[in-house]
Amino acid sequence: MQDISLHLLDIIENSARANARNIKVRVIRNVPQNRLRIIVEDDGVGMDSHTLEMAQSPFYTSKEEREKKVGLGIPLFKQNAEATNGCFKMASEPGFGTVLTVDFELDHIDRMPLGNLKDTLLGAIIGHPEVDFDLNLITKEKGLEQSFHFDTAAIKEELGDIPLTYPDVIEYIDQSLLEGIQNTNMEDV
Amino acid sequence: MKTLADLKKIREKAQEEMKLRGGNVRIKIVVGMGTSGIAMGAREVMKTFLEEISNRNLTDVLVTQTGEKGLSSMEPVVDLIEDGKPKVTYGNMTSDKVKKVVVEHIVNGRVVSDYVVATGN
Repeated sequence: MQDISLHLLDIIENSARANARNIKVRVIRNVPQNRLRIIVEDDGVGMDSHTLEMAQSPFYTSKEEREKKVGLGIPLFKQNAEATNGCFKMASEPGFGTVLTVDFELDHIDRMPLGNLKDTLLGAIIGHPEVDFDLNLITKEKGLEQSFHFDTAAIKEELGDIPLTYPDVIEYIDQSLLEGIQNTNMEDV
Repeated sequence: MKTLADLKKIREKAQEEMKLRGGNVRIKIVVGMGTSGIAMGAREVMKTFLEEISNRNLTDVLVTQTGEKGLSSMEPVVDLIEDGKPKVTYGNMTSDKVKKVVVEHIVNGRVVSDYVVATGN
């Protein structure tokens, strides 16, 4: 993975595969605390404590059909966070869901860029019409806080039976995300 | 600033169109978005499909994302599913290949055999 937003996409796919119906994503860029925090919270099937531990091992995958038991998504994300004096925490409860919190030291030389957050979110939202996304982007900088909130449940309600892949809807979501990312200065993080 | 009122206009327009052509989904596109797919560029593939749908105003296709299915060496992988036809799986996809698949397969109905890695189930 070349950037944090690709890891984020990978994590969102995990949540979707765990049958989540609601996925909350928070990206918090806190300049005074020199921290970039990503939180992904889902209401999927969740994991027991053993599975939770195994999920952080590169030689574990939940994919039964896989011949070679390798699952690198979570271990690589963890490694990339820890390489920046950051931390990686996962908490889960079977039947309730999973919360993942990943911290990066913002100005650490080894921190990978946040990357194209817009394409990650756009693809995830449209590619998973069965999931409602609640997104929050927050930047704390120079005593100011700027935030962007995007809730796809409200959009789907307004659209009724019009699919998210309808051309004008793609354009709408793309533009909304772009504005939100610009307003919270998340473009070149 | 985009508002929910904009969505209402979109919905009215879309509903008019659906009345005219029946609102059927003709082709379903499924982009493999497992870890290896993402690492190989599946997000860009997804993005290009969405751009093409938007630019060409294709109202009868659906795009979704799924996990990987054991074709890791050919990622990014995309399935095209049409009613009454065998499923076509394209592999090693790139943004340029997506554009070609949209023109040839989705618009003109001709499978791009050079990119096909599997057909059927």
